[in-house]
Amino acid sequence: LTLLGIAAPVAAEPAPPPQAVEFFETKVRPVLAENCFTCHGAKRQQAGLRLDGRETLLKGSETGPVVVAGDPDKSRLIHAIRYQGELKMPPKGPLPAEAIESLTTWIKMGAPWPESANTAGVPSSPLSVDEARRKHWAFQPVRRPALPAVKDPTWAQTPLDSFILAKLEEKGLTPSPPATRRVLIRRATLDLIGLPPTPEELAAFEADRSPDAFARVLDRLLASPQYGERWGRHWLDVARYADTKGSVANNEEPRYPFAYTYRDYVIRAFNEDLPYDQFLLQQLAADLLPLGDDKRPLAAMGYLTLGPRGNLADTIDDRIDVVSRGLLGLTVACARCHDHKYDPIPQADYYSLYGVFASSTEPQDLPQIAEPEPAAYDAYTKALGELQQQVKAFEDRNRSELQAGHRKFREQLRALQRKVDQHRLTHPGAPPKAMVLVDASQPVEPRVFLRGNSRALGATVPRQFLAVLSGDDRQPFRQGSGRLELAQAIAARDNPLTARVLVNRVWMHHFGQGLVRSPSNFGLGGEVPSHPELLDYLAWRFREDGWSIKQLHRLILLSAVYQQSSADNPGRQQVDPDNHLLGKMNRQRLNFEALRDSLLAVAGRLDRKQAGQPVDLTTAPFSLRRSVYGFIDRQNLPGLFRTFDFASPDTSSEQRHQTTIPQQALFLMNSPFVIEQARHLLTRPDVAALREPEARIEYLYRLLYGRAPEARELALGRQFLEAARASESKDLQLTAWAQYAQVLLMSNEFVLVE
Amino acid sequence: MRLLWSMEGAARLALSERGDTMGYHSDRLEAHLLTRRELLGRSGMGFGALALAGMLSETSPAAAAVSTNPLAPRRPHFPGRAKRVLHLFMNGGPSQVDTFDPKPILDQYHGKPIPLQLRTERKTGAAYRSPFRFQKYGQSGIEVSELFARTAECIDDICVIRSMHANQPNHGPSLLLMNCGESRLIRPSLGSWVTYGLGSENQNLPGFIAMCPGGYPGQGTKNWGSAFLPGVFQGTYLDTQHADIDIEKLVEHIKNTFLPLPNQRRQLDLLRRLNEHHLERQQQDAQLEARIQSFELAYRMQLEATDAFDLSKEPPYIRDLYGPGVQARQILIARRLLERGVRYVQVYHELNRTAEPWDSHEDLEVKHRRRARECDQAIAALLKDLKQRGLLEDTLVIWGGEFGRTPVVEMPTPGSNNGRMNGRDHNHYGFTMWLAGGGVKGGMVYGATDEFGFQAVENKVHVHDLHATLLWLLGFDHEKLTYRHAGRDFRLTDVHGHVVKDILA
Repeated sequence: LTLLGIAAPVAAEPAPPPQAVEFFETKVRPVLAENCFTCHGAKRQQAGLRLDGRETLLKGSETGPVVVAGDPDKSRLIHAIRYQGELKMPPKGPLPAEAIESLTTWIKMGAPWPESANTAGVPSSPLSVDEARRKHWAFQPVRRPALPAVKDPTWAQTPLDSFILAKLEEKGLTPSPPATRRVLIRRATLDLIGLPPTPEELAAFEADRSPDAFARVLDRLLASPQYGERWGRHWLDVARYADTKGSVANNEEPRYPFAYTYRDYVIRAFNEDLPYDQFLLQQLAADLLPLGDDKRPLAAMGYLTLGPRGNLADTIDDRIDVVSRGLLGLTVACARCHDHKYDPIPQADYYSLYGVFASSTEPQDLPQIAEPEPAAYDAYTKALGELQQQVKAFEDRNRSELQAGHRKFREQLRALQRKVDQHRLTHPGAPPKAMVLVDASQPVEPRVFLRGNSRALGATVPRQFLAVLSGDDRQPFRQGSGRLELAQAIAARDNPLTARVLVNRVWMHHFGQGLVRSPSNFGLGGEVPSHPELLDYLAWRFREDGWSIKQLHRLILLSAVYQQSSADNPGRQQVDPDNHLLGKMNRQRLNFEALRDSLLAVAGRLDRKQAGQPVDLTTAPFSLRRSVYGFIDRQNLPGLFRTFDFASPDTSSEQRHQTTIPQQALFLMNSPFVIEQARHLLTRPDVAALREPEARIEYLYRLLYGRAPEARELALGRQFLEAARASESKDLQLTAWAQYAQVLLMSNEFVLVE
Repeated sequence: MRLLWSMEGAARLALSERGDTMGYHSDRLEAHLLTRRELLGRSGMGFGALALAGMLSETSPAAAAVSTNPLAPRRPHFPGRAKRVLHLFMNGGPSQVDTFDPKPILDQYHGKPIPLQLRTERKTGAAYRSPFRFQKYGQSGIEVSELFARTAECIDDICVIRSMHANQPNHGPSLLLMNCGESRLIRPSLGSWVTYGLGSENQNLPGFIAMCPGGYPGQGTKNWGSAFLPGVFQGTYLDTQHADIDIEKLVEHIKNTFLPLPNQRRQLDLLRRLNEHHLERQQQDAQLEARIQSFELAYRMQLEATDAFDLSKEPPYIRDLYGPGVQARQILIARRLLERGVRYVQVYHELNRTAEPWDSHEDLEVKHRRRARECDQAIAALLKDLKQRGLLEDTLVIWGGEFGRTPVVEMPTPGSNNGRMNGRDHNHYGFTMWLAGGGVKGGMVYGATDEFGFQAVENKVHVHDLHATLLWLLGFDHEKLTYRHAGRDFRLTDVHGHVVKDILA
């Protein structure tokens, strides 16, 4: 081993100056790519020569170097393209004079070659930006499609149904019969508010034979405050919502004190049916909108700010990802280190967006968005003042040590500051604030990070919208960071993705699967829609209806396709086993939140209080609040959440996994929470009042499953109660009835949405 | 019943490709799992699976082997040499020149500058000799320092890789690189990839268990996270600080404190009857069958999970073999878990009030000696114990930190070494890890650092290469064990990694 050989790590070659990069990218690389790479590129290396990277260029061919950096006249490459010697390249004819001049100039400059992963064999999108704009389905404008002709004119209740029926008929299939009223109201209620219908609601609907009975049920459900809690939570999956930052430095407060104001904003937006375009604008740029007196929409910007924290570049990457996948169904973050492999998203586009977020900062003092209760607020400010006084006193007392950077003192100070933070976020009188961004005083001119390395700077790019979604007159953003312009470009009526992505998400939650089965990837690597015209119809109607999500629900839930039975028939299964064609309704299972909330609801204990600081869901005494108000620790998501396939808050989640594992069963069998609800189910006044076992069983069935028990089920219940009673003893903590009630809560029927 | 195999094209291909390989993965395991996401809905375990097997046998006998439980054992791309993994994580970064990579030249240069300057995290100075004696061990005569004298007795079963290198001299990124193959971004951990690929042999315990006494190591749960892989593949963390391990922490809700088992059995009998009755009305539905079966599994889990952690079931001579202390206890637990079919066990060194117990910036002699004493006997015991049970040949044991330490002394640094000049700084340029069992050559040294032990120079093995090799030993082509997320196929090694073929037995 020689020491010399390892004396120093090889320093990376300094990046070429931006002008050189621009010259190379505009005048040189295109010439090389178009005329040379076919024979001297990644796939073929005629004469051993490869021209798609600086290293191989300088290495030359089998017969020696072809380029002498700085000296075109000594470079065989230039001889060849000048058609001067024996070797004439390219063989099919000389290059235009301008191209020859560019290459000559470039070699005179020293043949600068900006490092980029693209030269390292990463293939780019098979389609150029222009081609993709012309060819890829998702980039085509949303147009109102014509209704397809169908053979059966009686089935369709809405235009949606024609699209579904046409495809079914194509395959020789027929739709399933409509679901019973009992199934339908249970399906719609769990779907829209995440809670089961009460026996009264069920009875009222079964008795109401007017033609608009179901429409009125929908109106009631959509007007219920519980609607926003259910559908807001769906959005929080996309928004990778959590109440903590992820990994933080020692002593840094791990919580986001005001993440909850974003959650509450989302719930309110859904409940108030805030038009979706407004919803988007507020989430990206509420600080730049004329809000008037009500500052609560500022909390919308939590969409950007409450992600997992890393270094600046990672934090911005998270924001680019949540915006692009969440709102546009585009995986722009794939272009962080190199051009996107599948989609027409050049690396430069990533940094155009990077510049927008790098030009936005989080202010030290977050804006307060509402008034807390006066009494609680007084208590809060008094205690806060005392704590702040302690910090100040400590700083004054130990100024010199702190300035000298003594670790012990710094840590003590941080511990004190953390107390202040804790107070701010846990005290019930703490004023709610919004996790906003504001434009930096001086916007950043973004530069490409070569291979994603923030120390290897490439070309400067303007802050602007994605090329593939911009018209021919693509303009750099002009106002400040450009965040508002970005938001406007996403919420623009003619953006082909925004409405399609949203209606597909809504469809997915109603049916269990989207029309596009990669809901956050509408790019070339994503899935194609099963019903493209239906998707367009929904997107078109959605915009026509003023971006109203509630109208979209109505449209979908009033359709014949939604109201089908979920029972299957063998003929259909043979042809369409995955139910892509929706010849029946998909059965769904309650997700974690709906399961927990339903348990509380049927036990008569659900606390319907809305909004506010997050609550712990996992430790006794158990919170009775809805699950959406639970504290979500990104760094350490409680096992219970993971067991039930809760969306990971690490990144934007397009769809939850759905697993069946024994830990889910253990929760229902053994958790004190479930047993508590089983007990309370029996102490409900309406249940406790029924002394006669059969009557009580019947009522429980109605309460939990929305139907009367069959004779066999009654018999099984009676037998169980007798046997359990026979072994009841004083030291047994669960009565026979509580044991029975728990079984009913564990059953498949309770968690199944037909 | 083709209808149950209602899967997407890719997965259908995976099945039809099976043929002679009988259940080995197709290139796209993830398609298989995506299918499983649906199949979990449609297909079943237990009696459902039996029914399924019967139904499928008419069309494809191989298909019957496929189970729909995400943790059901699965075969890899090709027959692997290792079936389970134990990763002994020396968090903080043990010094290679004081353990498995002797550099006598440091004695000559002690206190003098060496002709080699590499940027380290903190300021470093002159050469610093190892305070520990090295000695040759075993038939192979590999030199090991006195710190791991017990472990060295097993050196003929160990493959010492002296040419490891990583990307950065910082704990956080290096821990993540070692565990997840990526320094900054959140990615699935090696253990979750392995569990995703292989499932687990024991359905009554988690497939991937991470143990660390006294809290989390640096980077916390990310070290065993599953990122975008389904949460079921995430490592289950267990604090092994105290002898009375709370099984409830390992498997939440494993105990029912309200009802004795016979009463619960009666509940589950009723539940099964009601569910089956309901199923009859619903027609065939594998999602519902799977859920019925999950209650039976859960019931058995209650009985069996506790047993794994009960060290009183070990004979005294075995407990003595492992020795006293927290490290010994958790390494013995690890063996019991591996024996029961847990796929991947990770054991971190006891934290001792620091997230990086091996991080000897100062007082290296005292601190390294203490750390080694805490684990040397137990590691040796483990290797011998696995061997005598015939488990070593298909159990892969990995030893090492997130990086190594400098052969030069760390200069006094405020906030780091308390002004003392008797420790070493972080070193990602070159460090040692070792592997044992599971299809690696024993009694072998692979690769080398330069003559001072600073930088890997010969047969360099990057962390990505180690990962590629580990997956190979388990039967996977690291380029093909992928999962589609956010528009692309992710893999543990990203775009890197080469299998180190020379160390394969």
